[in-house]
Amino acid sequence: MSLVTEVVVPRYGIAWYPWAVQYFFLIALSYSTLWLAAPGLILGKQAWMPTARIALLACVSTTLVAPVALLADLHQPLRFWHFYGYPTPWSWMSLGSFILPLYLGAVVLLAWLAWRPALKARSRQNDGWFSRVAGWLAWGEWQAPRAVLALVGLGALIVSLGIMLYTGFEVAIVKGRPLWNTAWLPPMFVATGVIGACGLVLVLNRISSLRSPDTNRQMLAALVAACAITGFIALTWFLDGVNAVSGSVAAALNSVSHSAAWRTTAIEGGIAGVLLAALALVMRRSPARRRAMGWLLGLLALHVAWMFRWVVLMNVQSVARNSAGFHDYHVAFGSYGLLGIVGIFGLWLTAVLLIDLFVPWREAANDPRAEPVSSAPAAPDISSTSASPEGAPSHG
Amino acid sequence: MDPIRRSLLGQLARLSAGAALVPLSSVAGAGINAQPPRREGDPSKRYGMLIDLRRCIGCQACTVACHIENDAPLGNFRTVVSQFEVEQESTGEVATFMLPRLCNHCDNPPCVPVCPVQATFQRQDGIVVVDSERCVGCAYCVNACPYDARFINEKTQTADKCTFCAHRLEAGLLPACVESCVGGARIIGDMRDPDSEISRLIEKHRDELMVLKPDKNTLPQVFYLGMDERFTTRPDAKPGIWDVLGMDGKEVGYEFGH
Repeated sequence: MSLVTEVVVPRYGIAWYPWAVQYFFLIALSYSTLWLAAPGLILGKQAWMPTARIALLACVSTTLVAPVALLADLHQPLRFWHFYGYPTPWSWMSLGSFILPLYLGAVVLLAWLAWRPALKARSRQNDGWFSRVAGWLAWGEWQAPRAVLALVGLGALIVSLGIMLYTGFEVAIVKGRPLWNTAWLPPMFVATGVIGACGLVLVLNRISSLRSPDTNRQMLAALVAACAITGFIALTWFLDGVNAVSGSVAAALNSVSHSAAWRTTAIEGGIAGVLLAALALVMRRSPARRRAMGWLLGLLALHVAWMFRWVVLMNVQSVARNSAGFHDYHVAFGSYGLLGIVGIFGLWLTAVLLIDLFVPWREAANDPRAEPVSSAPAAPDISSTSASPEGAPSHG
Repeated sequence: MDPIRRSLLGQLARLSAGAALVPLSSVAGAGINAQPPRREGDPSKRYGMLIDLRRCIGCQACTVACHIENDAPLGNFRTVVSQFEVEQESTGEVATFMLPRLCNHCDNPPCVPVCPVQATFQRQDGIVVVDSERCVGCAYCVNACPYDARFINEKTQTADKCTFCAHRLEAGLLPACVESCVGGARIIGDMRDPDSEISRLIEKHRDELMVLKPDKNTLPQVFYLGMDERFTTRPDAKPGIWDVLGMDGKEVGYEFGH
């Protein structure tokens, strides 16, 4: 037996910064909220319309901000056009660079079609600038048939599958990081993305004062399902590794057994996940509890989805590959760290506020025959009554 | 459960199952993440390096020479000699193990297919290079390399790595690390030329040569002679240098800050 001590090794920094976490977080929220909006918006299920409106707001705002975070993680952001100047079909990241604008376009088009009737209605009101902007945004008097919206929505859903695949496999094919190198990572990104998306819709349902009881009920049900699926995937990943030597699980166990920080993270993550699933299961049974606590649970769900990405993308990079121990990683204050994280959240908030200011998203209707605002049939009474004193006074 | 909720749950289930059921192998079969064709360089050559660890004294002359030749930023290295203290527990005898590291110019380089703009590519003579005019600095290759042979150069804000000093090879010179090695431990050459020194040494020591992390299937082309197998993967070592703290509780045990 011999004892080996490292005497000289270089210190290796991390290569992907917290920007990457923000991108993976926002893009997962984006495609997941799109799917949450689908039953109401695309399939036309009226009971899902309140959820669809909130989910669409969440989807558009996250879709707009996510690419900014992605761009910021490049060390040469002004060279982004190289992605399109030198297309590289064998690189997952290059494929993603082509899928992402398609997806962004599809989502924006879908939202525009969904918001147009309400925008037109507002443009006819005498509300100064807000009506004028609404008129510009609505762009013309024409009426798109419902089939067009459904078709665009379907297209967006299909492209979103491409986003799920590329964001997952981009990371999962990296053999150089054993913890990433598992086929279970892509589905795990999706499942935790849905958890976060349910959380975001719950939170927005509360702070937008829509407070739709349908949304609370639906989101808690979806949350329970997503938690169950996440648990199932995590368990399968673990059993896979225990039974058939998966490098990913071995690396995880190694990290947990050798590092106090990883132990803390594993315990915290486990507790947060189980707590979330348990609370969601308990709360979804009572409407009163759902109304009172739904948004808190939503915050916890967002925390779980974000933390998962932080651990996967940041902490895994601190596992040394060619030296002993772990690389110290401290979040810097500047744009490579804290400022970047906060800045992206700030940008997202700005996007939401701007949409809220100029777009009557609460009245977004999927049925153009129903003239919006006055008679949007799906809008539950609470949404129009409780929303107007809260959110509307500034713009009528 | 109402049918709408059921339909959503159904969609969610399909969604996750769908993503889970795409096997990596079929994706690889479709050509994603496959090695692109090599370009530039002399197709009649294949450069490789043999490092005779028995001759390495850990003087870091290669580290310094490379740093100066290639103008790497402080704290980043294209090559470095990792050093370990190995203590025989039964006898208390202590020895030092030296492990020069550099890019392995793998025959199956995982850093190449990931590059989204083909800025990093393998030349026909086997050398893996980066076109810093094209690199977008996404750092995907830095994460993809299992050997930590790449870094983002803070001066150029692009990926940086060992090039076997291709600019020197083209001028008929040896790489800076080879030229400066006092023990003559580093031997570089064309492995397609059966009369080259490296070819003769590989032929002579074929059974003793080892490469780093052979399990990654990267087929490294830097071969180590006199290697201890325990050091071919991440060493099971005490991270001694992190523990050296100054009076103020800050690390002073290493010179290679970041």
